[in-house]
Amino acid sequence: MDNAFADRLRKKSFLLPEAYGNEFAKRVFQRKDILFALAVLLFFIGLALFAPLISPYDPNAIDLKNKNLNPSEEHLLGTDYLGRDLLSRVLIGARTSLSIASGVVLISLFLGTAAGCAAGYYGGIVDESVSRVIDIFLSFPGVIFALTIMGVLGSGVFNLMLALSIVHWAKFARMMRGQVLSIKKQEFVLSAITGGAGDFYIIRKHIVPNAIATLLVLATIDFGHVILSISTLSFLGIGLPADVPEWGAMLSAGKEFMRTAPCQTIFPGLAITLVVVIFSILGDGMRDILDPNHEGGEIY
Amino acid sequence: MPLPVLEVNGLAMRFRTSEVFKNVSFSVTRGETLGLFGKSGSGKTTIGRCIVGLEKPTGGEILVQGVDILKMEKKEFRKLRPKIQMIFQHPETSLDPRMKAFENLIEPLKLHSGLKRDALMKRGEELAELTGLRPEHLARYPGHLSGGEIQRIVLARIMALSPDFIVADEPTSMLDVSVQAQILRLMQKLQRETGVSYLLISHDLEVLKKVCHRIAYLENGTITSIENINRGIKI
Amino acid sequence: MSLLEIKDLSIEFPAGENTVKAVSHVSFEIREGETFGIIGESGSGKSVIGLALLRLLPANAKVSGTVFFQGQDLLSLKPSELRKIRGKKISLMPQNPAGALNPVLKNGLQMEDVFEGNRAEKKEGMKKALKLMKQLFLRNPEKLCTLYPHQLSGGMRQRLTACISLSFEPEILIADEPTKGLDPEAKAGAVDIFNKIKTEYEKTMLLITHDLDLALEVCDQIAVMYAGEIVELDLASKVLSTPLHPYTKGLIRAQPRNGLVPLSGQSPSRIKLPEGCFFHERCRYSGFECSRKHPEIKNYKGGLIRCHFLSLK
Repeated sequence: MDNAFADRLRKKSFLLPEAYGNEFAKRVFQRKDILFALAVLLFFIGLALFAPLISPYDPNAIDLKNKNLNPSEEHLLGTDYLGRDLLSRVLIGARTSLSIASGVVLISLFLGTAAGCAAGYYGGIVDESVSRVIDIFLSFPGVIFALTIMGVLGSGVFNLMLALSIVHWAKFARMMRGQVLSIKKQEFVLSAITGGAGDFYIIRKHIVPNAIATLLVLATIDFGHVILSISTLSFLGIGLPADVPEWGAMLSAGKEFMRTAPCQTIFPGLAITLVVVIFSILGDGMRDILDPNHEGGEIY
Repeated sequence: MPLPVLEVNGLAMRFRTSEVFKNVSFSVTRGETLGLFGKSGSGKTTIGRCIVGLEKPTGGEILVQGVDILKMEKKEFRKLRPKIQMIFQHPETSLDPRMKAFENLIEPLKLHSGLKRDALMKRGEELAELTGLRPEHLARYPGHLSGGEIQRIVLARIMALSPDFIVADEPTSMLDVSVQAQILRLMQKLQRETGVSYLLISHDLEVLKKVCHRIAYLENGTITSIENINRGIKI
Repeated sequence: MSLLEIKDLSIEFPAGENTVKAVSHVSFEIREGETFGIIGESGSGKSVIGLALLRLLPANAKVSGTVFFQGQDLLSLKPSELRKIRGKKISLMPQNPAGALNPVLKNGLQMEDVFEGNRAEKKEGMKKALKLMKQLFLRNPEKLCTLYPHQLSGGMRQRLTACISLSFEPEILIADEPTKGLDPEAKAGAVDIFNKIKTEYEKTMLLITHDLDLALEVCDQIAVMYAGEIVELDLASKVLSTPLHPYTKGLIRAQPRNGLVPLSGQSPSRIKLPEGCFFHERCRYSGFECSRKHPEIKNYKGGLIRCHFLSLK
């Protein structure tokens, strides 16, 4: 055996997809919009994580003497109709929104991937039954469906997460099923089958890695939608208990004071918009980056 | 007369009412290349897929060392599976695009040999050398390899299982003339070294006449004749 | 008189920190009514030339040289002027007829789409197209127009794409690998189509292919490309029956009919091309000079060839 050949093989780790990682990073750094969105998102996550440390006041401390204030040195974003500090509430609210949304997206992604894989890979009766369930879940309008579930379960952080996951998983399952259907017909899967690989191995090693890119794009975009749903439900007054600061609930409570003290609607509204926009930029960028055939050039 | 490696008897396939093929019978002995000639749409690919167990024929039997694989238990068939392999027509989808060439190559070894990492790498290197691959090919993703290079990797990963029988479905129809010659010669070399048998499916009679020992003609859904090719390059 | 004149065409693509030299210093001309063939392995740069003529390359490609067509340099035309030439004067017949047709449009509609203008003009165009279809061995073209592309066989689809690309009566038809993956029967059909286009319509064609049989049957002149440059250029019959360049010889010997003798080795990396002759590592005649000096293309017995071995004689 050629020694140089063997040496080169051992030096380079052929088992690690490090080149793919590099490629991914390089593509991210070429896109200014994604970098910007990522920076803003990281900033938000940082704020959310350290919210209890950096928020100047207790977000639930009522101070009726100083209610409906405009931004000032003491209250940077002003106060609400009960005199609670808006900055503190928006910061703690970021915590609520981001953590619930990540929970919902992760649960939906996991459930959707599992159900979609089962339906797409095994086909036949499994596919029929899973697909019908997916259809049923997709046929309800999202917010009303979530409202109903919340009505049954009652309010609370965990229940809200559960209700939104029940609404959102079907989208992921449907997309995963479509991906699996097209991947399992490809010849590398067939040669894994004839090579004697088991079903679980094939799903884990070939199907999920090839399908997950598309699902991640969906997850990123859906993240924004979930935040919007949380706010919608809180705005309608059934999402979370009243003492949990949440952007939607703040909007809802502030709407009566829109004319006299607009800050209590503007700032939470701005926060929601910003997060949703960031996630749609990220989702859009992910679609370009994860596409293996992406060349980045237009026809001239 | 030794038992044939593979014997197909009265194989038939129908989709709903239309018959794709029926009464297809042939046998292949050790170290032999049988050509299967037919026009596009004649069902020759389906015959190949039935043999490796990717599709179930509606009738007939497929005997491997005298045992009908269609009547086998799932567990038994899985044990036999590595011995019957297939090369596909389209190189661009034959390897997992998210795994490097070398990972693709050693996948069957990981599944079957139970070798540890170092031994695995070593065996992978041997297989790569056997099929004329260069180290730089192995570090690439399939999207950065040419059709000929991919078919070499496919051959290497198949040889990892030391198969008795390989169904090659138009392995060179998407390749250039000069690369086609390289791959076909490589297949012959592997046959000389390991005694593997091939079913070479093609619509190119010139190619078949050059590399096969016998050619079966598939016409109108059945095998009309099997021709001995004396000019076939002896192994 | 030459209709298309390519001079010193080089095309490079950036790949990370390196550049891939896809085409280097290619020059040739196509006379009116002539069929010019470019043959070579995939990756030899032949398809890139076809795309460059119509300026269909990705924006990151670096193109230098000139392409004169009827006195205009195609590489420096404005987009609006380019549109007048694309499809109308220079037409590309796509490689994959199945992918080139829109699967949800009926064939008739698909053909009509090509013609611009009002209904009457479209009708006039269609009439011509139907006549063309009849001539290109499509029986009953009226019925064919009411079918969808998937209802046609591969050969029929190819004839249809040929009709679409000819319907504007272009000056030059570029065909990129028209026989790739076809079975021998359809290949023979393709030869008939091209011969008919050539003899009856007297069209000028640029045929990019690795199918030597097709090239021999249809082309008047052939350029053989290896690693982005022309290594041999002469009359088709001369190139394919008495090849001079070792690479061309190798290509011909690799055909099943001629012995299925593979060329040893693989094409060189296009980022770092070998010193000297690009082919010397695989060449059985390679001598001392071949690994040191890159050969220039030279006149030899009426053709052009890029090889040290011949100039030594």
